Amino acid sequence: MAGRAVPAPMEVAARALEAVPAGADAAQVTASRERSLVLRFAHSEPTQATSVDDLSITVCVVRDGRTGSASTNRLDADSLGLCARSAAAAAEAAARSGAPASFPGFPPTAAARAHEGYDVDTARLDPRVGGEALSTAFASAAALGAEAHGVWTAGEVQTAIASSSGLAAVDRVTDALMKVTATAPDGRSGLATRAAVSARDLDAAEIALRAAEKATFPGEPLRLPPGEYPVVLEPPAVADLVDWLGRLAFSGLAYAEDRSALCGRLGTRVASPAINLSDSPRYRGTLPRAFDAEGVPKAPLPLIQDGVAHRVVHDTRSAALLGTTSSAHALAPGGTGLPPAPTNLVMVGGGATDEIELCAGVERGVYVTRLWYTNPVRPRETLLTGVTRDGTFLIEDGRITRPLLDMRMTDSVLGILGRVQALGGRSVLVGDDHWYGRRFATGVVCPPLRAGGVRFTA
Amino acid sequence: MLALLEELVDSASGRSEYADVRHVRSRAERVSTRNGGVEAATHDEEEGIGVRVRVGGAWGFAAAPGSDRSAGEDALERALAAAEAGPRGAGTPLAPEPPARGRHVAPIGGEDPFAVALEDKLTVLLAADEGVRTDPRIAVSSAHFLAFREERAFASTEGALLEQVTTDCGGGIAAVATGGGETQLRSYPASFRGDVAQAGYGHFRGLDLVGHAARVADEAVALLSAPPCPAARTTLVLDGGQVALQLHESVGHAVELDRVLGTETSYAGTSFLSPADVESRRYGSAAMSVTADATTPGGLGSFGWDDEGVPAQAVPIVREGVLRGFLSSRESAGQVGLARSGGCMRAAGFARQPLVRMTNLHLEPGDAGTLEDLIAATDDGVYMETNRSWSIDDRRLHFQFATEVAWEIRGGRLGRMLRNPSYAGTSPEFWGGLDAVCSKPAWRLWGVINCGKGEPGQMMRVSHGTAPARFRDVQVGVA
Repeated sequence: MAGRAVPAPMEVAARALEAVPAGADAAQVTASRERSLVLRFAHSEPTQATSVDDLSITVCVVRDGRTGSASTNRLDADSLGLCARSAAAAAEAAARSGAPASFPGFPPTAAARAHEGYDVDTARLDPRVGGEALSTAFASAAALGAEAHGVWTAGEVQTAIASSSGLAAVDRVTDALMKVTATAPDGRSGLATRAAVSARDLDAAEIALRAAEKATFPGEPLRLPPGEYPVVLEPPAVADLVDWLGRLAFSGLAYAEDRSALCGRLGTRVASPAINLSDSPRYRGTLPRAFDAEGVPKAPLPLIQDGVAHRVVHDTRSAALLGTTSSAHALAPGGTGLPPAPTNLVMVGGGATDEIELCAGVERGVYVTRLWYTNPVRPRETLLTGVTRDGTFLIEDGRITRPLLDMRMTDSVLGILGRVQALGGRSVLVGDDHWYGRRFATGVVCPPLRAGGVRFTA
Repeated sequence: MLALLEELVDSASGRSEYADVRHVRSRAERVSTRNGGVEAATHDEEEGIGVRVRVGGAWGFAAAPGSDRSAGEDALERALAAAEAGPRGAGTPLAPEPPARGRHVAPIGGEDPFAVALEDKLTVLLAADEGVRTDPRIAVSSAHFLAFREERAFASTEGALLEQVTTDCGGGIAAVATGGGETQLRSYPASFRGDVAQAGYGHFRGLDLVGHAARVADEAVALLSAPPCPAARTTLVLDGGQVALQLHESVGHAVELDRVLGTETSYAGTSFLSPADVESRRYGSAAMSVTADATTPGGLGSFGWDDEGVPAQAVPIVREGVLRGFLSSRESAGQVGLARSGGCMRAAGFARQPLVRMTNLHLEPGDAGTLEDLIAATDDGVYMETNRSWSIDDRRLHFQFATEVAWEIRGGRLGRMLRNPSYAGTSPEFWGGLDAVCSKPAWRLWGVINCGKGEPGQMMRVSHGTAPARFRDVQVGVA
């Protein structure tokens, strides 16, 4: 859909950079334009449709090792000037405060590599494409007597960074996601989801059918008592765990502050030898990015290899605490309030064909489609709690036999990864669709897996 | 601005069954220190126009930055296209609402937080941060200031024409202690950057962060060597802040009528309640009375009108343990046959459409006196304070929460400090065990600034009025 005339992000970034008052040691301007369309549905009817087209800038100024930031989406000269002066005044106030310097300055400029994370057709954000996907999903769910609830979304984000050190970098990405939660007449539910760079890769019929098959799986749901069970986790459940692991254990700030599960454990075995985890911004199937929030070019970074922890991720501020350099994982320029985190986690698959084959090795266990409301209980132990949802089944004698009532899992992510017995061979992108504020689509590429002795507390 | 909004709804009126247009200007100031340094000093602002239309029973919403006609027209065209893209919906009639006109400026009772110099805020934060760093085992000290202002204008095709301004302010401190493989956290006055209210700078100043810094640090360090909270079924006393979290998660979200009706099934989830439960379902004990009140002075969920133009009101949710009502919008109210919306439609900023949200959800005070009185009246149990972790299922039925700290209660007195306290239960059974709520003087508002809902996601600020409370027969030590 064509919107009104909007200047290019780099043009706006350059204008804002010129407006930064003299006296700053360094300055960086990030201009980001989001165009997005989100179509929600419930009970096989559309419920909400949200179209956003917004361009905002963030100015980050460095003064004597302290930073100040300001942002606006008002793009006239006066507003850009006010924003730049506000950031500079904040940096000056911080410098005058007497607080020790904590930001070493923006990293040197370097060219980012191209990627394949942009699809022209998806960037058109044609609402009819989404509307057709909804109609298809409704019909597919109805064929099994189920209703469809969920979301179809597509977005284009253009990001430009200009800095006083000469950086002028532009990135364009698209992303698309469709998630269907099918509900059966008896109230049971099933989930299927797909994310990709291109909306063409979202097969609404297949997604809705898979969700409906789970919702309508025959049998009365059984309640399992709390205890330890072997599990087969679908990619959405694996992605949830691995995403938390990335934020808790692999945060360079947590590591530098002695809060990470990996403190004193880099170079040692922290997971099963079958586990290989990396942050790979151009891996096939991921949502690529060219650079991080400080303009540092993204590059693959091994995190766990053959079960051995190798690296944590850094932005400029956390790297300085350990005397190292950024690994291109800044989420905010100057590290202002957001710690560094992986954005392109990839877990390598194994030898099992699919979830069915993974179940074959389980005498009595729990099949988990997804986890919900996972939150850390004790971050240093990577101990999480969350509930299963939208497709929990009993595995008996190597096959799925009946639905289970949802259960609460309370276990350590590294503990579960240490008990992995087998991995599926096909890794898929699990998109994270619950960003707040500006669209920042990320995802985890991972396979299904089987693990032993996972703790369920209710 | 109002004239432009009126022109836009005039343009929309012939092309939709209903339309409303909002112009929102938002400002936020966030200042924080970490380990003695300035971690963040940011000032963010944005403004834009959001247009919501209903065509053939289907909703469309679009947002564009700015405040001029072209922004509004662009948003209107995209909203219409979005509404027309999908299959047609049923189009339940909206609950009727007389079109309101007026202006509301929320009183802040003192100094404008945006007018106070950054240097003054940094002076307080750095002093508090330094006050936390009293022991080498303190790995992280932090202090936070937050301020938000929203200026909203609203017009609808039914003739509503409104303006309102709200200002929120607050802050907090935290200490992270590490040692012996343990990491422990203490915060004041609440976790997750502190406590925020619809108030002026005086609220932040009144928190006295510096005065509480040493205690926060001492407790964080003491937790490193405290015994773990044992597993037991026992009596649980919660501080007001944890009661607020409990109320938010196991009552507030459960009574959102969109969830009850299944229209949030895929993301936020549903509810264990049904519309037919009103006036009959027992939610808790007779000590439990809950009210959603968008008129509470200082509440983050207080306003003149919601984002559908419905006036702020107080809605009974639970009375003496029985469910009495839901949080509703005009559409959801119409779906269940309510005469009027409860006025709970709220949107985060200009670029999001309104959703059914909490306003200020209160647990009404009881007659148990002060916290000290309540402890003294408890023979045996555990007292837990300050939320640390929370998780609840998608029907808002089974929960597991953890707090930063706990103490044994023995013979009406606090005993040993306990680390890693947690508890779990199911909502009606847990609230059924409520047998005492402290009295009005112990009742206060707790601000929650990170209530997430919707796709695309929206963070909403809400408040909960609570007092410390006692719950019988609760499973503690679950994680």
